[in-house]
Formats: sequence, C-alpha cells, structure tokens
Amino acid sequence: MALDLSGKKYAQVSYEEKERLFNEVKADLRYEEYLYGCYECGICVAACPSARFYDFSPRKIAQAVAREDIDLVYTLMNDSIWDCSQCFSCDRCPRKNSPGGIITIMREVAVKNGLASAQAALEGYGRVVYKIMSTGTQVSPDMLQPSAFPDWGPHVKEISNNLDVWRRALPPETLHTTETGWQVDDKTLIELYLIWHMTGVMDMIKEVDEGLFMILQDVMEERLEEAGYDVSFE
Amino acid sequence: MPEQPILIIGGGPAGMEAARAIADLGYHAILVEKRNRLGGTPDEAGYAALTPDFRNAGEAMAEMAARIENNPFVNLKLNSTVTAASGSVGNFEVTIQNGQASEKINAGAVIIATGFQHFDPGRETQQYGYYEFDDVITLVDLEKMLRAHNVVRPSNGKPPERLCFIQCVGSRDRQIGNEYCSKVCCGIASKEAIEVRQQLPNCKVFIFYIDMRMYGYWENQIYWPAQEKYKVNYVKGIVTEVLKKGDRLLIRGEDTTMGRPMEIPMDIVVLSVGMEPSAGTCELAKIFGVQQNKYKFIETLGGALDTVTTSVEGVFACGAATGPADLEDSVSSAAAAAMKAIAAVRKHRPLE
Ligand SMILES: Cc1cc2nc3c(=O)[nH]c(=O)nc-3n(C[C@H](O)[C@H](O)[C@H](O)COP(=O)(O)OP(=O)(O)OC[C@H]3O[C@@H](n4cnc5c(N)ncnc54)[C@H](O)[C@@H]3O)c2cc1C
Ligand code: SF4
Ligand code: SF4
Ligand code: SF4
Repeated sequence: MALDLSGKKYAQVSYEEKERLFNEVKADLRYEEYLYGCYECGICVAACPSARFYDFSPRKIAQAVAREDIDLVYTLMNDSIWDCSQCFSCDRCPRKNSPGGIITIMREVAVKNGLASAQAALEGYGRVVYKIMSTGTQVSPDMLQPSAFPDWGPHVKEISNNLDVWRRALPPETLHTTETGWQVDDKTLIELYLIWHMTGVMDMIKEVDEGLFMILQDVMEERLEEAGYDVSFE
Repeated sequence: MPEQPILIIGGGPAGMEAARAIADLGYHAILVEKRNRLGGTPDEAGYAALTPDFRNAGEAMAEMAARIENNPFVNLKLNSTVTAASGSVGNFEVTIQNGQASEKINAGAVIIATGFQHFDPGRETQQYGYYEFDDVITLVDLEKMLRAHNVVRPSNGKPPERLCFIQCVGSRDRQIGNEYCSKVCCGIASKEAIEVRQQLPNCKVFIFYIDMRMYGYWENQIYWPAQEKYKVNYVKGIVTEVLKKGDRLLIRGEDTTMGRPMEIPMDIVVLSVGMEPSAGTCELAKIFGVQQNKYKFIETLGGALDTVTTSVEGVFACGAATGPADLEDSVSSAAAAAMKAIAAVRKHRPLE
C-alpha cells in the first residue's frame, strides 16, 4: 500500500501526543549521533534493500526528523519504520546520519508506547519472543510462522503445510536444535530474567502484547521465586 | 615622466581593494564613485552581517574605506562618474562628471568595478507578488530588518511565526533570461535564516530550494549550522506561487522528497533575489567599448586563467561587474586587476 504522507491520516491523534513521542525520540542519547542534517542526496535510499521492496525511504525518515515535522514523523513511526531491515547499509551517508539508527530509536519508542503499528509488526514474533525469553536461548526452525511473514512469498505457506515431509527429505538434519538448543544453565536463566525485569524489557512486552506478558510473567515469577527472589512484574 | 595613474570606477569592495593594491605598490590611483561614500552595494543596501563569519558589514566596509581615504596615492572622486573616454592603453583620456562640473583626466589603464544590482522580483516573477503583498520581501529587505533587530511583518508590525525563503528568484531561469546561478544567495539566505532564528527563536524558518549551492567552506560554516544547530527547514521544491489567505500568505509548491504538493501558510516570504549587472556596469562597458556577455556583465577574455582582462587593451574589470561574485571573489579579482593594470601601464610608459 502506498505510504500516505499527506499529514491527514492521523489527524485524530492530537498534536501534543505526536509531539510527546517525537520528544521521546529526540531525548534518546544516541539521537545526536544519528542525525545531523540531510542533503537529499539519496545515497541511503540507493543502498537500502528495503527501499527496493517497499514504499520506504530512509531519506524520508532523515528528512522528516531533521525538519522536526511532527505530523510526518508520527506517520512514519506508524507506517514506515517497520519496513526497515536494520542492516545499516544507510550508514554510508555523507552527513554521517544513520537513518537505520534513527529508526531503531523510533521503533523503541513505538514499542514502549504500545503503538498499534508496533503491536501489529511484532505479532508474528510472539512465539519467538516467548521461546527466547522463557528459555533464554535461540530461535529454532520450527518456530517461525509463515503467516506472520508475508514477505516470504505465497509459496511458503504451501510448503509449510508439509514441512515435516520436506524436512525428512533433506539429507542434513535441520531440526536438531529444537531438541538440543534449550539447555541453559539455571543461574544464567535467572540472571536473564532479572535483567529483563530490571531493564524494562518486560514493561515493553506488556505494552505491545498483554497475553504474551502474562504467560512470561507466570513462568518467570515462579522460577525466580524458586531461586529465592521476591520479584513481581506488576 | 612618471607613469600615468590608474583609473578605477566604482568604490565597492572590488574598487576599494584595487585602489589599495595599487597604492600599496606605490602607484597612483584615481577612484571614481558615483555615490557620496565608499562601500558599494553592501553599504548602500545596508547589509547586516557578512558571510561566512557574520562579521558586521558596516564595520568591514569602513575598514576597507579607511585604507584608501586620506591615502596620498589615491585620488578619491565621490559623487562622480565617467561620461566619456578616448585614447588607448598608456594614455586614456577620460571625462569625469561631478554634478554640473566635468573634468578631463589622463590614465594609463582603467579598472571597471561598477558591480551589480539586485534582481527586481516585481519585474518578471509576478507570481510571488512582491509589489502586491507587503509581507513578500527580498533578501535585501530582510538584511535591513536584521540590522535593526526588527524582523516584523511589514503588514502589521508583528514578529512572524513562520518565515520562508524562496531560492533562485531571477536566477537559473531561462524564461527570465538569467540562466546563471547568482552564487551567493544560497549562502546568504542560510545566513539570514540563522539570524532570524537567533533573533526570533519561536519563528519557524523554511528554505525552498532547487539545490543548495554553497561555496567551499560555506558548507560547514553556514549550511550545516543552519540545519543542525538552528533547525532551519530545508525543503527541496521551489514555490510556484504566493497567494493571500486571510491575513497570511499561502505558498504553493511541491515537497519533492515527500512526493506531495504543499500549501503552507506563511507570515513573511523572502525572495532570494540574485545579481544582475548594475546600470553603471552597462554604461561603462559602452563608454570603453568593452564586450559584454549575453547577460550584459562585462566579458573577460581569459577564461578561467584570466578573470580580469577585457576586450580592450588596458581596460580591466573585476568584482561583480564581471558576473555574480561574493566578496572573496570580488576582492581577489580586484587584486589581480590591479596587478595587470600596473603591468600594462609599465609596458606602455609614454615616451619621455
Ligand atoms: C542580498 C545580498 C547579500 C550579500 N551578502 C554578502 C555577504 O554576506 N558576503 C559576501 O561575500 N558577499 C555578499 N554579497 C555579494 C557582495 O555584495 C558582492 O560580492 C560585492 O558587493 C561585489 O563588490 P563590487 O565592488 O564588485 O560591486 P558593488 O558592491 O556593487 O560596488 C559597485 C560600486 O560601483 C559604484 N558605481 C556603479 N556605477 C557607477 C558609475 N557609473 N560610476 C561610478 N561608480 C559607479 C556603485 O555605487 C558601487 O559603489 C551579497 C549580495 C547580495 C545580493
Ligand atoms: S538499516 Fe533500514 S533504512 Fe538503513 S539501509 Fe538497512 S533497511 Fe534501509
Ligand atoms: S544519505 Fe544522508 S544526506 Fe543523503 S539522503 Fe540519506 S540521510 Fe540524507
Ligand atoms: S546561489 Fe542558490 S539561490 Fe542563488 S541562484 Fe545559485 S542556486 Fe539559486
């Protein structure tokens, strides 16, 4: 769908709310290093893989932010930043901007504030997040849900129906990590839970996915209690 | 017999520097200036601060003038102009008119430094409404307001909340005939934008442009701070027209980056007018019979390697009389003209 930058799309959201979010972006410590001015040279766009596939432009991000156009930044924060693949090819900017870095900050603000777009964008990752955060270890091939990744193409859905059969047809073992990858030392796991608690990661999850938060909360609180910590995520 | 003096016409930055260079080398200069004081267009138009270092313009011009006023090697003729010339290198006979009086002088060589005039935005680009709307002004008008620390809407005397610059007004335009880039207006608009933000921190400032053209170091002396420190909004896309809406102005154009049309209300619209040859430059070109280029600036014949030699031997030109130039260029070319004029006089010493 074409990106609507007319400024009318989010007219129902108050200017003050948009401004509050933008100020949160600007208050990030990295902001000063990620944005200077913009030449309109388009070097970032030409380097950007996402720009090839979506109606997406790192230059528009840099411009909107540099111009401090609050309505525009809000629109981009909702409708554009999730198209970035965070590869940082745009870091070759002659003004030393990092559009990808600015997007990182914008995404964090979007997640922290539970913007609907952030919820939608992260929906497909629920299982991944659950697995990683509850077990403290990596993603395995059985965890990705094709329905959440439209950019994988239409045939992926078809293939995924008989994935077990396909996998068995392959000479190398592809699913061993689903069994072996989850052995995490108790102490490490407890420390990870504490870090996620103390750094506000759990708060962020609560903002974007209440259901996921509740499941994780159950798992974590119980383990922490066993380990002798009296931690509440509320 | 000593060499004949060198005649300089025009007491702007270029003419003042040429006179100083000639005097410093021990030659005599006659400087003819039609106004009653030195300082050229920066003085006449009342510029506030100069690019790139925000130096006070009045002070800078006064400093240049002080070097040649009361200088025994410089014969200053204010309120004067040149009305006729004959002769050739080594011995030009020139008529200088001062009010009703006229005198004839002899000069070994001539330097034309009669400068430029600002493009008149009412002449061709009526779509910007310069003579129609009080709040449409030029770079020069804004310089005066900045100098007085009184940036207000002419229509109601209130400080503007939104002010914009439109670049390339009267420059780079085939319709108008000024196909050239006036070189300085991008830097000057950016400089003025910074000053507006300094004087009125709550005023939003926009610059609508085709491309920003910054001379060498002006890039990070002016453009970067304007964008990064003073948050001037640079929007790629030239305004098509200025309309009146209520008691404000409405500008219409395209925001090329965002790929959308724009209609933005403004309190003041500043037209970044470029340079055209001054009337004096055109007159002097006729009087001395030197070639002018397509745009009526004085043609110099040496291309990139000689920026001051004209089609008439012994007649040189420098500064903005030869085309758009900033102070740095004007002063540099003035020194080159002084050197070449002295060389010409020495080569063509009248017989003893
Ligand atoms: C809005 C604006 C702002 C600018 N600000 C800056 C700046 O900040 N920094 C910068 O580097 N440059 C600036 N410039 C450019 C700068 O003004 C020129 O580089 C400079 O004035 C050129 O000097 P000049 O001596 O060649 O011509 P001028 O300054 O035009 O001087 C010409 C002189 O010749 C005299 N004269 C003309 N005709 C006759 C005649 N027939 N007989 C006798 N005398 C005559 C005039 O009275 C005048 O004194 C600016 C230009 C514009 C348009
Ligand atoms: S980090 Fe994002 S914006 Fe930058 S090049 Fe990669 S995909 Fe494009
Ligand atoms: S590379 Fe940098 S300066 Fe060029 S368009 Fe992208 S952000 Fe702007
Ligand atoms: S200096 Fe800038 S505003 Fe002036 S003519 Fe050139 S490009 Fe246009």
